[in-house]
Amino acid sequence: MIETYENILQIAVLAGCILVTVIRSVERKSSLWTILTLFYGSWMLGDIYWLACLAFYGMTPQISVVSDLSWYASYIFLYMLLRRASPPDLTSGTKGLPLAGSIFALGMGLFFMHWGEILSNLIYAGLFGLLLYAAITRLQERRAVCLSVGILVFCFLEYGLWLSSCFWKSDTAANPYYWFDLLLTACLPFFLFATHKAVKE
Amino acid sequence: MNYIENIYVCLAAPLILAVLYLRGSSRRALIFLLAGMTTCLLSAYISAFATGALGVDFAAASYEIAPVVEECMKLLPILFYLIVFTPGPKEAISGVLMTAAGFATFENVCFLTDYGTSNLLRMVIRGFGTGAMHVACGVVVAAGLLLLWDMILPRAFGTFALLCFVITFHAVFNIFVSQTGPVFWIGSSIPMTLLLGYLLFIRKRIRLF
Repeated sequence: MIETYENILQIAVLAGCILVTVIRSVERKSSLWTILTLFYGSWMLGDIYWLACLAFYGMTPQISVVSDLSWYASYIFLYMLLRRASPPDLTSGTKGLPLAGSIFALGMGLFFMHWGEILSNLIYAGLFGLLLYAAITRLQERRAVCLSVGILVFCFLEYGLWLSSCFWKSDTAANPYYWFDLLLTACLPFFLFATHKAVKE
Repeated sequence: MNYIENIYVCLAAPLILAVLYLRGSSRRALIFLLAGMTTCLLSAYISAFATGALGVDFAAASYEIAPVVEECMKLLPILFYLIVFTPGPKEAISGVLMTAAGFATFENVCFLTDYGTSNLLRMVIRGFGTGAMHVACGVVVAAGLLLLWDMILPRAFGTFALLCFVITFHAVFNIFVSQTGPVFWIGSSIPMTLLLGYLLFIRKRIRLF
């Protein structure tokens, strides 16, 4: 039951964020706001799908492809948001740390394969490797620094969420899974601020 | 027993003949309409096969398999057009929308043969609900393609992400319209509301197409 309330809260936060981004997209005519709308939209659709399956059929999807697809899409939109917020010919800085981020994502992907499907974990590892690489590379870019920090925090919370789901199964508030999910929900509106900064710079 | 391929031949024949005589953008539009109908027919075969192969029940197939197959199939004609003919954004967008309209039209015809035509209200809801859903998915893909048009490297990524986005939207719509009562009404009205909102408030301002 706590998962349902948690999902409803996340959907409400995302709906509020979408409202803001749609208004900003129309007012400012900036593609950054539109990409952010797509990020929030994909994430929210995945949540609604999951919640609807639980509410109307009393179970999670038999084949979890659709909700996974929506989350893949949201990570890709986040990556595209970061790319668009920074210069395309970004070559500055060392490559060691960003590569370490990608290798970490790959390692975590291999670890999660013990619990989940091989293909979906490979895709998640690839997308998070890309996100971590792009975010660490752009940490010194003035226009994208907020977005990069936001993405790093987001990735950290996602890994916390997934790790806790491997080791704790209880449906109570004591489960760290719900704490990480709540923190993730709280982190989502930060991208509004980060995008605002990127548009203003 | 429904022979949807027979219905397809009957509907497509006059359109194919018209294509032979038309020129320019009208011809292109009609070809995309036909492509939409063809992908709908093929989607029905593939969905039925996947449902059997994966051992999923009919209700689950409507929100777990059909959206994935249908949205992927709908994107194929426009991907072919983009890769082979490298059109401008306006032509590509028209193609996406006409394919979506063709798909929705053929799906509605198949629905009519299954459930009859006696209930006008049901027909109106079906026509506008499903029709608007397919067109709304087309608008999202088209708007996204235009938005991502100038970015060469992430174009493939972006197209995949948009496809995932519309698949989930389609799946959520299918879950809602398979219910009864207020959930059905809300689900049916969401795509139409989104399209109207886009036409009234957003299209004029951002002038995507």
